[in-house]
Amino acid sequence: MQTQPAVKRKGKSVSYSRYGYFFIAPFFITFLIFGLYPILFTFKTSITDAVGWEKVLNNSIIGFENFHQLFDSNSLVFGKFWGALWNTVIIWFFNFVPQLGLALILASWFTDTHLHLKMQGFFKVTIFMPNIITAATIGMLFMSFFAFPIGPVNTFVQTSGISNMPVEYFRSVAWSRGLISFIQWWMWCGNTMIVMIAGISGINPSLFEAALVDGCTSRQIFWKITLPLIKPILVYNLTTSLVGGLTMFDIPHMMTQGNPNETTNTVARFIYLQGFTGSRNFNMASAASVVLFGIIIIGSLLIRYLLNDHDPKPAKGGK
Amino acid sequence: MKKALALVLALMMMLGCVSFASAEDKIKLVVWSFTNELQGMIEKYYLPNHPELEIEFQIYPTDGNAYTTKVDNLLGANATSEEAPDIFTLEAAFVKHYVEMDWTGDLKSIGFTDDELSVAFPVMAQIGQNSAGVQKGLSWQSTPGVLMYRASLAEKYLGVTSPEEMQAKVADWDAFLETAEELKEKSEGACKMVIGSGDIWNAYQYQRSEPWVVDGKLVIDDELLDFEELCKTLEQDDLTHKGSAWSEVWFAGMRGELETLCYFLPTWGLHYTLKPNCVAGWDAENPDSEENIKNATENGTYGDWRITDGPVAYSWGGTWMGINAAKAAQADDAKKAAMHDLIKFFTLDDDFLTQYAADSGDFVGSAKAVETILANGGTPNPFLGGQDHYAIFASAAALANGSLMSEYDDTINSIWSDFVTTPYTKGEKDLDTCLEEFKAEVASRIAGITVE
Repeated sequence: MQTQPAVKRKGKSVSYSRYGYFFIAPFFITFLIFGLYPILFTFKTSITDAVGWEKVLNNSIIGFENFHQLFDSNSLVFGKFWGALWNTVIIWFFNFVPQLGLALILASWFTDTHLHLKMQGFFKVTIFMPNIITAATIGMLFMSFFAFPIGPVNTFVQTSGISNMPVEYFRSVAWSRGLISFIQWWMWCGNTMIVMIAGISGINPSLFEAALVDGCTSRQIFWKITLPLIKPILVYNLTTSLVGGLTMFDIPHMMTQGNPNETTNTVARFIYLQGFTGSRNFNMASAASVVLFGIIIIGSLLIRYLLNDHDPKPAKGGK
Repeated sequence: MKKALALVLALMMMLGCVSFASAEDKIKLVVWSFTNELQGMIEKYYLPNHPELEIEFQIYPTDGNAYTTKVDNLLGANATSEEAPDIFTLEAAFVKHYVEMDWTGDLKSIGFTDDELSVAFPVMAQIGQNSAGVQKGLSWQSTPGVLMYRASLAEKYLGVTSPEEMQAKVADWDAFLETAEELKEKSEGACKMVIGSGDIWNAYQYQRSEPWVVDGKLVIDDELLDFEELCKTLEQDDLTHKGSAWSEVWFAGMRGELETLCYFLPTWGLHYTLKPNCVAGWDAENPDSEENIKNATENGTYGDWRITDGPVAYSWGGTWMGINAAKAAQADDAKKAAMHDLIKFFTLDDDFLTQYAADSGDFVGSAKAVETILANGGTPNPFLGGQDHYAIFASAAALANGSLMSEYDDTINSIWSDFVTTPYTKGEKDLDTCLEEFKAEVASRIAGITVE
């Protein structure tokens, strides 16, 4: 901002503040082209009759007919869409609850000055490791693990005498959903844990020290100090997990293809099947995406509301 | 001064480029495919004799629909652009979809005549036609399917010693089922007819008399209901290993680790699926080395396989060459002739196809070339214990019905398997429920189709 007095340039001053915009420009340009435009295009497509590639650009607007079908219990897609949402929620629930629970426990152990765990780095890396592998790869891996009638798990079950018949895991609803939930849990637990550790490390250590001096037990410290103070992190975690969980696609798609009998068909898979198989119903796929978008927004707001407002004493300044 | 000089130089360079480009006077073709197979063939067999051609290859994988998405984007919105293909290849899974579209050009528009087209195997030619009978795609392979079985098991349990005797045992699906029961009895359940009931689908679908969609209406052929009953009997009577195709157990059966008599596979299945999987540790680098064959014969199933027509003549796979209608319409005569010549060379040229079959072992798409190969002594195959695969493939190729494919086969086949075959044969649902759910799913996935 400072002009050198020796140089007289008709009062022109050199402003460096615009360079900041240059640095953030690539992100925004990329976002506008590959993020915002497709979103707006999806909104637009959802109110058209765009069936098939020929009509992606040359379609006509038909109003809210596609949405009407998604909400009309007599239509063909009604049961499939809401059934898929139900599957997604179940799979997400059984992945998220244990994930959050275990991540919290691990995070509080790792940050507990009392316990002073050894080899923390090793454990953190090991727990985080599954997250680096591509979900599709893991889906394929588990598919061959639990293959029927010959596969590692079936061979183990038979040779160890647990059962003398091979089990067809992917024809069992509980196993199929359970495995997907397990994979999601196993993959994302480390990630959640790291975020939690970061959150707990951000708490002023003097609070813990004061609690210790006052004779609190570890359990009391966790419930009375750690948990209330990492609430913003919890909100973040719940929200990202909700977004990730409701848009879950790759693992069910690779591992079960929605089987058995559509019980592992997720909303994202419903959208894929509508948009990219058969007659390519882009209009219906877009409408379903918009509805999913709405559901996620409502869910996220609900999480904020439940965790922030219901509490009589909201943690101030914890943003 | 410097600026002026720079400008002059720049202009000269631009002019230079332009004049060089026009001086070259090459015919430029853009060719798209989903594997490098065609590129390799063109570079090896075609370009050396055609210096006037400049071919730009683009390869996109079919995984996750990358190829079809790319084709759709360009042909739909920018069909005449520089990067849009002149010639593109089509796989069995989506060939019908594209030949039904106006984007894909009539081969006669670039100079093909009825006479030329007549030498192609009818089944492959028919698949390359749209519903009005316009020829839009030609295949250099023909992919008739046969029944491949293990001679040692057939002899041990069924007393069958020749492919002709085996054919009598599987002449139709009733005989097939009887043989499966007999096999179970004689082997005391050790040896199964096939890996899984789904394995016979690729063959059985050719038993229908109509494709899935006729005049915009979904057709559930009566044969399909028989198929369900056959699959259910196979499954419930324990006549299969209850596995599915491409799974671990499927390959284990090929290696002989568990006794499986039959596989339904087409031409490419013999060379690219069955043979490399006939033993654990097949040496893909030197498949013909003495050591490898010795290992495969002693520890695997090399030499134990035979082929026979099986209950029905069918076709599975293939790669068709099609043209971009918009670009072909703009092309001058020289370019049209170049496209015509290229497609004709790879799909119909007798000399080339004979040569190519000898080099690659592929089963080619021209009936005439196949005749030539058979007349020249055929192709005795040590993997099949000296049996001539070309002779059997030729009869299957001549018989298969190419009018049974329709635009949405890929989608409908997978719905049929997930909504009918699997739940019904495993006894999870009754047939009527399955059929209702199948129809609802088809109607929801394919807009504009009438489902009754």
